[in-house]
Order: sequence, then C-alpha cells, then structure tokens
Amino acid sequence: MSDGVVKILDGNTFVVSDERGDIEASLTDPTGLFSFDTRFLSKWILTIDGERLGALSVDDLQYFETRFFLVPGTGTVYIDAKISVIRQRSVANGFHEDLTILNHSDKSVTLTVRLDAASDFADLFEVKDALKKKGAYTTTTTGGKLVLGYQRGPFTRATEISSTKSARVDSDGLTFRVRIPSHGEWTTGLDVVTARLGAGQAPRDAVDPVRARQRMARNLDAWLTNAPRIECDWDPLKATYRRSLVDLAALRFSPPIAGGRSLPAAGLPWFMTMFGRDSIFTSLQALPFTPELAATTLRALGDWQGVRLDDFRDEDPGRILHEMRYGEMTAFEERPHSPYYGSVDATPLYVVLLDEYERWTGDRTLVRELEVEARAALNWIDEYADIPGDTGYIWYKRRNEKTGLENQCWKDSWDSISFRDGSLPGFPRATCELQGYAYDARVRGARLARLVWKDDELAVRLEKQAAELKRRFNRDYWVADGEYFALALDSDGRQVDALGSNNGHLLWSGIVDKSKAKAVAKHLLGPRLFSGWGVRTLAEGEARYNPIGYHVGTVWPFDNSFVAWGLRRYGFKHEAAEIASGILEAAEFFDGRLPEAFGGYERSQTKYPVQYPTACSPQAWSTGTPLLLLRTMLGLEPQGDHLVVDPALSRGIGHLELLDIPGRWGRVDAFGRGRVEVGTRHR
Amino acid sequence: MATTKRDPTEGFFAELAERGDEPLLRKANGTTRFDIVDGKRTTRWLVTLDKGRVAVSRRAVASPDCAIRANKALFDRLASGKENAVAAILRGDLVAEGDWRLLVRMQRLFPGPRKLKRTGTAGYARRRG
Repeated sequence: MSDGVVKILDGNTFVVSDERGDIEASLTDPTGLFSFDTRFLSKWILTIDGERLGALSVDDLQYFETRFFLVPGTGTVYIDAKISVIRQRSVANGFHEDLTILNHSDKSVTLTVRLDAASDFADLFEVKDALKKKGAYTTTTTGGKLVLGYQRGPFTRATEISSTKSARVDSDGLTFRVRIPSHGEWTTGLDVVTARLGAGQAPRDAVDPVRARQRMARNLDAWLTNAPRIECDWDPLKATYRRSLVDLAALRFSPPIAGGRSLPAAGLPWFMTMFGRDSIFTSLQALPFTPELAATTLRALGDWQGVRLDDFRDEDPGRILHEMRYGEMTAFEERPHSPYYGSVDATPLYVVLLDEYERWTGDRTLVRELEVEARAALNWIDEYADIPGDTGYIWYKRRNEKTGLENQCWKDSWDSISFRDGSLPGFPRATCELQGYAYDARVRGARLARLVWKDDELAVRLEKQAAELKRRFNRDYWVADGEYFALALDSDGRQVDALGSNNGHLLWSGIVDKSKAKAVAKHLLGPRLFSGWGVRTLAEGEARYNPIGYHVGTVWPFDNSFVAWGLRRYGFKHEAAEIASGILEAAEFFDGRLPEAFGGYERSQTKYPVQYPTACSPQAWSTGTPLLLLRTMLGLEPQGDHLVVDPALSRGIGHLELLDIPGRWGRVDAFGRGRVEVGTRHR
Repeated sequence: MATTKRDPTEGFFAELAERGDEPLLRKANGTTRFDIVDGKRTTRWLVTLDKGRVAVSRRAVASPDCAIRANKALFDRLASGKENAVAAILRGDLVAEGDWRLLVRMQRLFPGPRKLKRTGTAGYARRRG
C-alpha cells in the first residue's frame, strides 16, 4: 500500500495504521480504528522491553485482514534478531489481533511486552478539520479489561480492550511478562471492541475472530464467483477487472436499514458511507455485473428521501440525500449530515437508475415498490429544483450557508464552474449536465409510468415536459461560436461559456439534438479536451485550465466512463473505444486501481498518467469505471428480453469475452475483437 | 383570539390519528410504541402502520416492532419541528430500538422546521379510486 499506511475494513469499521501495525494518531493525523464516523482508538503502540519494533514486511491478506512481520529495533540496516513478532489483524466489531512472538535463540528469554492504548473519540469531521473535543473522557480498568470512554451529555462512546492471556492493565495500556523457551513461541489474542451507546445499541461483544474472518472470506469468494468472467488477449485488462471486483467488494457498505444487504459507499476509508450521487453512479457502472448493488441503493436512498423543508439540511420533499454520517458533530447538529441533502443531481439520477435497473433485470416488483419515491423525485424537479421558479431548469443554491455545500453538482470545488475568461458566476447556478439528467429522468420515468405503474396520463405529461426541456436547452445552452454546450447558466441567464467534459454527460442523457452531436463528439476527442489518456474536466485554453487542478483540467476516470457511454448512445463507437482504451491503458500504471483523477497533461508529454493526490483509494466510481468501459466497448444494451452485443474495441485489446452476464435473459456471453485503430491523435 | 395553547405532543398524536392514509408510509408496516417520560409519569402511545393507514391508540403492547423513548420536553420539540429526530437518536437523547427500516419511515411523521407550502408529490401523486 502507499505512504506506509495500511488499511483494513469491514463496512464503515476500519483500521488505518503504519507499516508496523502501530497507531499513533494526532488530531490531524488520520490513523486509528474508526467505526460509524468516530475514532475509537488513536494510540496502539507495541513495544518489547521498552523498544519499538521495525517492519520486515506487510502481508495484505484480504481487505479485512492483514499481517505484519516485525523485529525489535528500528532503522537498522542489518538485522540479526533473536526474536521476531507477527501481528495478524482482522476487522470484527472493532478489531482482533493475534500477537505472536517467536524466540529464535537457543536460550529462553524473558520479555516485557507492552501495548499502549488511548482514544480521542474524534469525529471524522474533527480529524479532517482539526477541531477540539467538547466532552469528557473516562478510563476504567476492571476484570482484566481496559475501557476507554467518552461522554458529552447523553452521547457516549466506549472502547473495550481485552486479551486472551492475562495482562497487567493500567489506564494507558496492557503489559505482559512473557517467558519464551528456546525456539518456542508465545501468543495472545487482543480484542478491541467499539461500543456506541445511547443510539438504541447495546455494547457490542467481541465476535469470534475466526468465524468473522471465515464469513468475510466466504462472502468475497461468492461475490467473485457470481460476477461475469473475463477472457482477453490483453492481460492487463483481466488484472484491472479483477482488481475492480475486489475493490468493489471492499467498498460495499451495509447501512443499518438495509437488512444486511449492501450498496457501494463512495471511497475507502474516509467515505465509507451512503452518498446519493456516488452510490447511484457506481451502481449504474456495475449494473451489468452486480445488479443487486443498484437494488439496495434504490431502496436505501428511497427510505431516506426528503419529506420536509429544512434549510439546515438543504432538505426538500422528494429530494435524494447527498451524504449520511453518524458521528458526534452530526449528532449535535454542528454538521448537517443527518442526512444532508445538498446535491441536485442525485434526485433525477435516482429515476435514471431505477429505469436502467429494470431494463437490465426485469425486476418490476422493485419499480412498483418504489413508485411513490420515483414520483416524489420527479415532482422535486418541477416543484423545488427550479429556484427562480419560471425557467424549467434545475438550479442549486445552498440554504445552509454555514456548513452546507456551495457546489451541489459533481464538480463540487469552488472554481469548477467558470466563464472562458476565468470569472466565476454567482448563485444560483444551473449547470448543463443537470438539465440532461432531468431530461433523462422524465423520458425514463415516462417509460416506467406506462410499463409498470400503468399511468398513461403521467407518461404523456413527462414526455411532453422532456421534449420542451430539450428544445429550450438546445437553444439556451448552445455556445454558437464554439459549437458546444455552456457549462452552466448563471443567475442572469447568461451562458457560463467555458468548455468542459460535462458535454459528454449530455450525450449520455440524450438531451443533445442529433444535429449538434457531431460537433460535441469532435470537441470531446479534440486536442483541447482529449489528453490522449482521457477527456479533461476543463478544456485547455480556458483561463482556469490547469492540468493538475481538481475539476479544472484533470482527467477523471469516472467522468470518462460516462462520456464513453454518451458517445456510444449517439453512435460514436470508435470515439468511445478510443476513450476506453486510453483510460484502461492508464489503469495499467496504477496496477488496475484507477485513482479518482490524474493529471491532464498531454500523453506524449509525460508518457505516464500523473496521479492527483487524494485521500481515498479505492474510490467507488473510479473502481466502477473499468466495468462501464467493458459495457461500452462490447456495446451491451438490453433490448426487450435480450442483450444486444455490438462490440467496438481497440486493436490492442485483441479478443475479449465477457461470460455469464446476468440480466433478464438469465446469463449470456458477449464476444468482441479489437479492430478500432486508436492513438492516432496524441502519441 | 383567545385559544388555549395545545400541548405539542398531544397535538402530534391527535393529528396523526386524523391523517388516515399517508402515501409516504405505504411501505412501512408495524407497531411503534412511544414512551414519553415526564418526571415520574410515562405516557404511552401506540402507532400502528398498515400499508399507509395510520392508527393511534393508548393500548399497551408488550413487544412492538419499534420502541421510542424520550422525555416530554424533547418530544414537544420534535412534535413542533424544532428538533430533528435522527440527530436526537445519534446523540442518545431519543432512544430508539427495533426495526430500523420502520424507524426511518416513522421519523418522517415529525414536521420540519418550515411549514410546507406544497405537498410532497403534488402533481405526481397517483389518483386513488
């Protein structure tokens, strides 16, 4: 793993440590044991006879389990250790660690083994923003257990630390006096268990670590077995595909309401929670592979759909949530994430996902089950999203001006939406892709109304609205002198006229007039947007363009997967293949794990993709990217009860087979052969 | 105009009993027991949801699907939209146990801080009958 940081997790419980297995967190240093957005352990340091250990190697066994091989002393070049240490750790209601010490000498040894432990019970938001705690700490040592506690009014959290071998327990940790015969070994189990009190939760017991590990291993095996298999002449694609499936398994998150089923969280480890936008996009990408993620996403987001007008949470009736958190700052309303609704794309995309899910799986029961939610989402677009009230477009402007999000579209950084000259529009803003999503939601909502809800009147109305929106949009957003769609309209109705990758999402949504599609495709693959690896978020030549600016020039793999889907939708097969090929070739440089974003430098200039530094890896929608690119390359499209296969892939990929694709057709195979010549543009 | 100030908690349950059909709760079925603690006195309410139909009673039920416990002052604030139920649960002010999916549905019954001018699904609600 990178940066000498080791992460293991199960859902939203995760451990981040250094390469020795030690945790030595400060308020700003993001290591520790975390669960439900709270740090339950901020110090966990192993010493032997008062000395820290050095790492020989780390074995990442699975995403939920790791093993550290250590020897006494640090920083020595030449190691001649008489003893060695193995820490095997797995996540289980906190974590379980088997600590084993091996004596390699021909004499017995007597050692003092010490584990220093402490917790700051920081909220994830406090770790990010380095804030001070308001509650009080307690420490008790009873019955061979060390219990660390935190209390702020009724809010209590506790960490229980115990061992299988008896230890001397003090308020700062556990000490073992150990005698190991020559060539012998000594082992103790260590359990660190998290307890969230007050939320109707009994303190959790330490689960049997062996059974917990077996359960997680079986679950991962079943996950991999159920997914379609790949055969391909180009080996890196096989490796990338497998990496994506394993990472997606790790990114699964089972919210308390989902009855044990899971949905994709946004990123590991800091975004292991429900995000409307990220969960929906990732579910869309993974639909041909693991459709059950979409079903859980739709149900869970439906359960939390907004019903009130609440300015603090930016909540409206029908709105789909942006982010849910469980920590102290959320509990005390110092942050609005209970849940927070400040996203304007999640709501139309909710309807898009519901329809796409039905097209693949034929599961009309779920579409019936979620009829009220889908109708409320469509109503939100009409009643609440048009902030000026008379434009027919989706706008955003936060009502929570203190802790709400300013930019409620996926390009959510402060400078992402700009005019050509670099100036920034005021609020509200109506970014272009939002209008595409609204269009698509209505077209798809009409299909569901007719097919499943048996409401022709609604279908006709939605189709009429969609057609009107398309007509207006193609007039109001089209930048005539550049032949592309503006990034947004500002509050005066002016075009925010910079060129960005958002144009690709417009193709995906279907809102683009056929007559304009060719010009848009030309831009997406043109020198200003296409780097050779992928489409930049913002075009070269715009005042704010910066190849390593977060949303103003970097290449986002997730963005590109939807751009490729959009190009296919309008018949630009070769162009889609070119993007798929660039992104998948980039993936090879990251061992199959695409980062959230990489630099927008010309491919010919750097020869390799320059990673943009981000805290989370893997990121859900980057993980889903190779899956959606496989779909676009093979041209997989449900039509009635059949799966249409219409491959267009680059020559370098050679022969490609995707076997046992699940859907309403049962399981089918798809084949393709690489015939598209790519890379003539930028190398 | 002289009106006696209505007790928010009493008002909440009275209003709930009058609602009858609630589209937002059509998927939630089950019983929820509310224990409202006021000093030494605990008032108990039972809310039963059956495919969107809401029934309120003071019946005692030994094993409801959900149990919610709060002190009267907090519940008054919840009932008048001054307090958020989810945050109160996370904090531990509102103790909730049982079927989480039903709980998430139940919290929809509490009003928000602002009055709704428009109903949630105005133009999109299915016509009944």
